[in-house]
Amino acid sequence: MSARPIHIALTFDDNFWAPAYALMRSICLSSRRPQDLVFHLIHIGLAPHHRQTLELIAAEYPARLLHTDLAHHAAYRDFVALLPMARPFTPVIYARLLLDRLLPPEVERVVYLDCDTYVRGPIETLSELDLNGHPIAAVLDPGRHKAMLGRDFRQNRELFSFNFAYFNSGMLVIDRAAYGQADLPAQTRRLHDSGALARIQYDQAILNLAFKDNWLPLDFRWNLIWPWPAHEVLEPQILHYTGHRKPWNLIPSAAFANAYRHTMTNDIFYAFWRERLRRRLLSPLRRLAGRG
Amino acid sequence: MAGPIHIALTFDDGFWAPAYATMRSVALSTERPGDIVFHLLHKRLSAAHRAVLDDIPAEFPGIRLADHPIDTDPHFAAVKAGFVFKYRRLNDMVLARLIFDRLLPPEVTRLIYLDCDVMVRSPIEQLWEADLGGRSVGGVIDPNRQKVMLGTAFRAKADIFDFHQAYINGGVLLIDLRRWAAADLPGRTEQFRRDGLIDRLYYDQDIINLVFKDDITPLDWRWNLTNATRAHEALEPHIVHYTGDLKPWGLIPGAAFFSNYRHVMTQEKYYAYLRFRWARNLRRLVARLRPRRPETAA
Repeated sequence: MSARPIHIALTFDDNFWAPAYALMRSICLSSRRPQDLVFHLIHIGLAPHHRQTLELIAAEYPARLLHTDLAHHAAYRDFVALLPMARPFTPVIYARLLLDRLLPPEVERVVYLDCDTYVRGPIETLSELDLNGHPIAAVLDPGRHKAMLGRDFRQNRELFSFNFAYFNSGMLVIDRAAYGQADLPAQTRRLHDSGALARIQYDQAILNLAFKDNWLPLDFRWNLIWPWPAHEVLEPQILHYTGHRKPWNLIPSAAFANAYRHTMTNDIFYAFWRERLRRRLLSPLRRLAGRG
Repeated sequence: MAGPIHIALTFDDGFWAPAYATMRSVALSTERPGDIVFHLLHKRLSAAHRAVLDDIPAEFPGIRLADHPIDTDPHFAAVKAGFVFKYRRLNDMVLARLIFDRLLPPEVTRLIYLDCDVMVRSPIEQLWEADLGGRSVGGVIDPNRQKVMLGTAFRAKADIFDFHQAYINGGVLLIDLRRWAAADLPGRTEQFRRDGLIDRLYYDQDIINLVFKDDITPLDWRWNLTNATRAHEALEPHIVHYTGDLKPWGLIPGAAFFSNYRHVMTQEKYYAYLRFRWARNLRRLVARLRPRRPETAA
């Protein structure tokens, strides 16, 4: 058995503390080498009691958790200050572009995962994957045409063609050195200066332009977008709950919703649900009081 | 396989916008627009709707449209006149498909046929270059074939089809047109009538599967994904075929890639087509409600 650490990076803010917990626990449950797991938790605005909850992972499994608070990271603050943003996204989505600068120096290979993913296959399969010289591996995005070309498929034609191999950036297997060489912040600034950044799909489009024709495509089961119950029989390895049908909703219709709840554990599932309900009820009042 | 890529569509005025969307999906995804020739076999297509279809070559230079209006085609009239029976499933569009070889120019020896309720997502030249293995027709095995072949209780047509026959869906076909002509589909159809089978056949799809039995090359299912729902999106189909009730031009979402389809059809034409259908349905309703003149006594 290899003793190489398995590095996994998550970037999130306080809105995603419970999905981050569920994701980590799904990885611990499905890995055959939980003792080698190192979670790099890159976050901003994480409440202390939520951070405590995340530490339950290290109590239940022999995995390690390393925190990076972006609030103390000047390079991140400067980087996101000028970048466009629209709901429901928050600036933390840009943190994945800085991964090579945020991770400890000993990390050579890292698996990046969005916090709305759920892992069912051994993650070491990805961390030890042969990238065949590519900087990253990913899965083709089935919703790419609209994401790239916009309304009537007539926008951004100077950047993308219809057959552009556009991957989803919610799961990335990353060669840290090659990722750093791409100098994503510089590419982002160039897109910003040209005015293109406001027209494209944020970090995902930036990554696709930076690694055009230079990424290893993986089977769709390693990042199953918008999973439906009909997909369960196909044995997806990683489910990616894009869109509105989240497995942490009280009446979910996504694939493996029940398994997800038990991965998050019932305690945390309902705590997260109460928290969101409270926030939803309070936010109109806060707006009325001029604080929202 | 250099040279033109011939694609045939058969439709009447009720399908002007889906025909446009099918063509635009091909145009968007092909890497060889200069080789694409759309053969439009249409019936009662209004001048206004025909003009809309010209937006395709205007937006995608190099693509050619070739009109074959069956209303005025002498070959079509001759074949239709020879059909001495009335059968609602043998409508003009079906008949036109049976005689592609007579309606299209002689230089067309290989043909892709597409139903107008399909959306193409991959370069059509990949289908064009598929190896037919010396057979007449390439198509995708129809997942719903047993019921279509054998009918009620899987007994009604058991004398016509075998449960295990490799039966293809007729919505996407790759055709060797010389062999298609040699098969004499109108003649075989007339024979099915004489044998008393014709009333039980399912449009041209049954006829094609009977005539070309053991002469069909099955293609990967991604080239004709039937009954396409949202769950299929992750499977990267090459051609989405909107069989069933969930049509992507309807207002109720649920069909695979329905949002993409709308942007392939373009918003302007999507809403124009919606208004067109509403007006047509309203006219039909008024016609149905209009009091009928009482029959006069003989």
